[in-house]
Amino acid sequence: MPSNKHTPFLENIPAYALGALDAGQVAALESHLETCASCRGELAAYRALSEDLLMAIPPKTPPASMRRQLQSKLPSSHRLSSRRMGWSLGQSALVFALGVLLLLNVVSLLQMRSFQQQQAQLSHQLQSEQTALALLSYPGIRTIPINANGITGTLLLDDDRNAVALFAWNLPQLPANQTYQAWLIDSQEERVSLGVFRSDPTLPFTSFSIISSNKIANFVGIGVTVEPSGGSSQPTGPRLFRVGF
Amino acid sequence: MSDLEDAELVEQVARGSEKAFLLLYDRYASRVHALSLRTLNDPMLAEEATQDTFLKLWSRAQLFSSERGSLLVWLLTIARRVALDRLRLEARRPSLSDSNDPADVWPNIPDENTLSEENRWRSLYFAVQSLSVEHRQVIELAYYQGLSQSEIAETLGWPLGTVKTRLRAAMEQLRREWSR
Repeated sequence: MPSNKHTPFLENIPAYALGALDAGQVAALESHLETCASCRGELAAYRALSEDLLMAIPPKTPPASMRRQLQSKLPSSHRLSSRRMGWSLGQSALVFALGVLLLLNVVSLLQMRSFQQQQAQLSHQLQSEQTALALLSYPGIRTIPINANGITGTLLLDDDRNAVALFAWNLPQLPANQTYQAWLIDSQEERVSLGVFRSDPTLPFTSFSIISSNKIANFVGIGVTVEPSGGSSQPTGPRLFRVGF
Repeated sequence: MSDLEDAELVEQVARGSEKAFLLLYDRYASRVHALSLRTLNDPMLAEEATQDTFLKLWSRAQLFSSERGSLLVWLLTIARRVALDRLRLEARRPSLSDSNDPADVWPNIPDENTLSEENRWRSLYFAVQSLSVEHRQVIELAYYQGLSQSEIAETLGWPLGTVKTRLRAAMEQLRREWSR
């Protein structure tokens, strides 16, 4: 190619490499570059220089907050944060509904358990009273009055069946961690547990009946003490009363 | 992980590694931010442009090819485009950098402990600074402000032919200085 035709394109190459060549001249230069290896070599050299100019600026440290801001803008961070805390309205409503259902279930379960406990108490109470009534109608029954420490009542003993029924008035209510415990007392003052019972706050009297595995005739009395909930193997608490046979 | 090469880290970024991404940010944020600031001459806009550049690294990491050039050049090329787009969007008049700004200097003149690569860029920086004011102005406006030769002529009130001559002369001088 003659130099007088080559020179105008060559002069435009530095501006083209910087991206500063006016649009009207770009097409002509690019057309020339397709056929001129020499100009392509020049362009490669100036392009390398323009790339290097990108780095010929003193570094400037950005504010420290930018790193955190950038991190929060990452799509993965959005996804993670969404999973962690940014539930949609539908998801939130579903979780809320499940929470309410769970709460209702727990409340129902507690109520059912409470009803079962009340039912068991009433059933026990009924059984106790029926036993006591049966004892009263039995010809060989022994009736022993109770009158000690402000507590009055009646003790029914059936020696043939080793059945015991206790009716006591004015028994104080015990805290939840305590219970009444009845003991058979022998002539050596040894105690054998008859069982535990609690007073019923809805009734003015307390009844307790049981068929003992021991022969009642071998004992000389019955005592009632206050024991920790669940009872004790031997009396540990204060004595409420004692009745001799 | 911090010892990994750029190409390995970019591969990890392409697979969604936030840790690799932050390592690259720590490595190059000051260079990207400097270019954004030089182009936009506004700290707020420069911060946004820097973030946009790194978000493009995050979303386009799989497009990077180490065979075609270094990651830094790739990042700075993106940063320049982002900043120039923002400049056009803001329709702001170009401003020339103040070479007397004490903050606008390369920290520490080359010393033995500095990486040789960084020394190279320092040398080019000084080569640009050693240009005459007129030559430096056309380079600044063309490259860092994205103006065409006609726009530079209009901005500076110079004849178009003068702009062309000065731009060409400035590039030839840099090429000579740089290739020595």
